[in-house]
Amino acid sequence: MSLMERLQNVDSRIIYVLLLIALSLPLLRPIGIPLQTDPMVRAVYDIIEGLDPEKDRVLLSMDYSPGAGLDAEVSPVAVVEHLAERGIKWVAISFGTTDGPMMTNRIIADLEARGYEYGKDFANLGYMAGEENAVRLFALDCLSVPTDVRGNRTDQLPVMQGIKTIKDFAFVMQFSMGTPEMWIRQVVDPMGIKFATGTVTVSVPSIVPYFNSGQVKGVMGGVSSAAQYELLCNKPGRGAALMDAQSMGHLLIILFIVLGNIGYFMVKDKKDNLAAGQ
Amino acid sequence: MRKEVPLLITFVVALIVMLSQVTTGNIPGLGVAMPDLFERYISPWMTVVSAFSLCLASVNLIVVHSRNISRKQSEWIYSLILLGTLVIYGAWCTYIQINPDNTAAASNYSLIYNYILSPLMTGQWACLAFYVASASYRAFRARNLEATVLLASAILVMLGATPVGGVIWSKFPVIQRWLIDIPNMTGQRALLIGAAVGSFVACLRTMLGIERGHLGIGGS
Repeated sequence: MSLMERLQNVDSRIIYVLLLIALSLPLLRPIGIPLQTDPMVRAVYDIIEGLDPEKDRVLLSMDYSPGAGLDAEVSPVAVVEHLAERGIKWVAISFGTTDGPMMTNRIIADLEARGYEYGKDFANLGYMAGEENAVRLFALDCLSVPTDVRGNRTDQLPVMQGIKTIKDFAFVMQFSMGTPEMWIRQVVDPMGIKFATGTVTVSVPSIVPYFNSGQVKGVMGGVSSAAQYELLCNKPGRGAALMDAQSMGHLLIILFIVLGNIGYFMVKDKKDNLAAGQ
Repeated sequence: MRKEVPLLITFVVALIVMLSQVTTGNIPGLGVAMPDLFERYISPWMTVVSAFSLCLASVNLIVVHSRNISRKQSEWIYSLILLGTLVIYGAWCTYIQINPDNTAAASNYSLIYNYILSPLMTGQWACLAFYVASASYRAFRARNLEATVLLASAILVMLGATPVGGVIWSKFPVIQRWLIDIPNMTGQRALLIGAAVGSFVACLRTMLGIERGHLGIGGS
């Protein structure tokens, strides 16, 4: 097998090992490549910066599971950190997956360890079955969930005082592994709420039409957006730490694609020349 | 009757849902508006049915895996682990609900999830990076014009989406943004509108009883 043919057929195991090295080294020794802020991420930051900590409350729909990895988990952590820093109260609920309440509990555990108070600063209303219908039902009557995950009555939680319908929340943000159509259909368009979404990177192109139409006010897509958000808040966290690794991983993949194509064209040229000579 | 009653229920419910989106006034004789009828009586039912389906799924899971274990079918040990986890989780959660003051039980409830299930699921997702790298290398070959356009777009989006792209050339993020905002959005909107029209037609067929797959009867 010639060198050019080899370039087209590199063993998968070699790619795996090189990718592992490309991802690991920046994690061990960060390079600190500067980040540019996406307007969709900046929009989420601006909305939260514009909220009034005295009266505004935020609803977070936590519809992701560990199955989507850090790509889904880092964005809500960054946004909640911003809310906590600004002293804005928030309530979490899950419609899309039964994992949502557990993922929220992780974020809450960290906040409680730092002195924030459950029930007063935030609450976790758990999972509500029914997906699209549940979203609509909750939007019309936020007290249709009788208790939170800790067994407290929802109507007695300090953070829920004055909340009757979803319009009583100043801002609603969904964190999911897909696209926010059910929220747009059931709540955003009929009730006119301020809504943004956080999702995995691969789903961002599907959400862009909703952002450009104004139905979704901001979009956070995966680790990259979380990193930008952390830097906007001047609190570099896990997202920022992962970005160098992502850059190196992408560069390696591009390198292999280019090498594969060079091999492909060289072999093709050789075959064409041989065919022309015969 | 086995066909007619479900078809009638489907028709009436679908009609209420459709009309609730386009009418506001009270229904003559009933004194209630169509949107209220939907939101007060039909929408909550969906939540009940969804909750019930979770129970049904659990029962089904127990039946299928108990059979696997009793017949010692291949890989029955996994069925045993699954049922064991289901029982432990169910019993533990019930205990917490009955004894809400036991904070140790509540905090330990998350242990299996946080330290076994979650790392396994995250690890599985992370493995995709390796498969995607290998698959991209093999699939992205400029064999024809369409493949070349796909290849060029993929490389430009990858470079624009990562910080290193902006360092190499400041225009990479601009090009990536244009690709996402214009060609991507045009295609996405066409898909969305096409899917919406298709869904409407499928709903209409179900409502009118032309499509009967959901009843287990088969098509028209």
